[in-house]
Amino acid sequence: MTYTRKDVSKLTGTERRRFVGALLELKRRGEYDEFVRMHVTYYTPDGERGLRSAHMTPSFLPWHRKLLLDLERALRRVDPSVTVPYWDWTRDRTATSVPWTDDLLGGNGRPSDRQVMTGPFAYREGRWPLKVGVTDRRYLTRDLGRARDPIALPTRNDLEWALKDGVYDTYPYDSTVTKGFRNKLEGWGTGRGSASWRNHNRVHRWIGGTMLGGASPNDPVFWLHHAFVDLQWIRWQQRHRAHRYLPDKPPGVGNAQRGRIVARHEKLPPWDVTPDELDDMSAIYRYV
Amino acid sequence: MVVGVGESPAGGQRGTPFEGARSLGRTRREATRRLVISAVAVALAPAVAACRHPRVPDDGRQVTSFEETYRGRHIRGVEVHPARQAVGSRWEVTIDGRPLHLMRRADGSWLSMVDHYCSYPTPLAAARGAVDELGPGEQLHDLAPGPMGGGSMHTGDGHDVHA
Repeated sequence: MTYTRKDVSKLTGTERRRFVGALLELKRRGEYDEFVRMHVTYYTPDGERGLRSAHMTPSFLPWHRKLLLDLERALRRVDPSVTVPYWDWTRDRTATSVPWTDDLLGGNGRPSDRQVMTGPFAYREGRWPLKVGVTDRRYLTRDLGRARDPIALPTRNDLEWALKDGVYDTYPYDSTVTKGFRNKLEGWGTGRGSASWRNHNRVHRWIGGTMLGGASPNDPVFWLHHAFVDLQWIRWQQRHRAHRYLPDKPPGVGNAQRGRIVARHEKLPPWDVTPDELDDMSAIYRYV
Repeated sequence: MVVGVGESPAGGQRGTPFEGARSLGRTRREATRRLVISAVAVALAPAVAACRHPRVPDDGRQVTSFEETYRGRHIRGVEVHPARQAVGSRWEVTIDGRPLHLMRRADGSWLSMVDHYCSYPTPLAAARGAVDELGPGEQLHDLAPGPMGGGSMHTGDGHDVHA
């Protein structure tokens, strides 16, 4: 049975409450922190050895699609009515719009230490202590818009720039490529300054705090952000029907990217699934 | 934790580092901006993304170590050349004595575990970027070898990473 993922601004009060409730319950059971741990563990940048399955790689999109699907399955075991909503950051662009409301994710961090003080995920509520991370900080932090050196969220035009590229990804399939839909959406740029991060990366930067680190899924906005990124992949597929995930075959012997990236029909660690099998989700969910 | 940065894929940060870095005095007053030696000025790697414009003279000079107090935090970094290895080196970087895990991008720039979605032209810049994101009193986990106390499950070489 296909379910729908909705725009977070369109959720009813009951839907908001049940989504938040399912997240808090997963956290209480200890299941949530496994998703955070997974994200930290699989962050292999392209200047290091090893297979890149999650970032700076063609499988950035299917890897996060699968992580999101697993989180959503866990949420639906708690409450079968829940799906992961998406946050359209081209529309809801301020620090007080959704999802930064008290009935959803809570608001910005306070100036002194960026600690989130409002909403159900505030540390003082006692239900969202950070357990997996790179520092000893136990509370959620945000710095929406980066107060000391403000930046803006990506715009509709920024997304369009990525969506109109008819090629999924190009060699060497890493953070240095300047062509191809995948990196234009993932957002690794060249040069200096704020123009060098785009779309997906720029949203992490705009939120700041917890969302900047390797343990970024500690902030539940991670899932709303990645649902919207996932929706862009579907939009791109609909616009470029003759084009698909690349590379379709593993790089050959002697190729510098051999063993570093996941081709269309190769297993995508840590799962027993290929990018090809994650290409079409229409039998499982759709976006409305 | 040993933060390793191995052979430079882009070659931009290599150069010939000076050996025998001169150690400067340890007066706290002078500590801000103190670089324990910098040596050869080299052009930076061609495509280096930075998250913000450097406000201090972290301009890509080839350094073999650095030490400074930045925004009240003690940053140290040492480039380690493993024995019997013709090329390649690692950077061990600490903030207030706790190891900062640095990783390398293909364009030669650095990412830290604290600031994962931007990269910086040098290990010092990455360390300062991490300090910028640390809250008052917040400290890095002093765990080895990785942030979870475990290695990278897919490469099996822990966080003793090499480029």
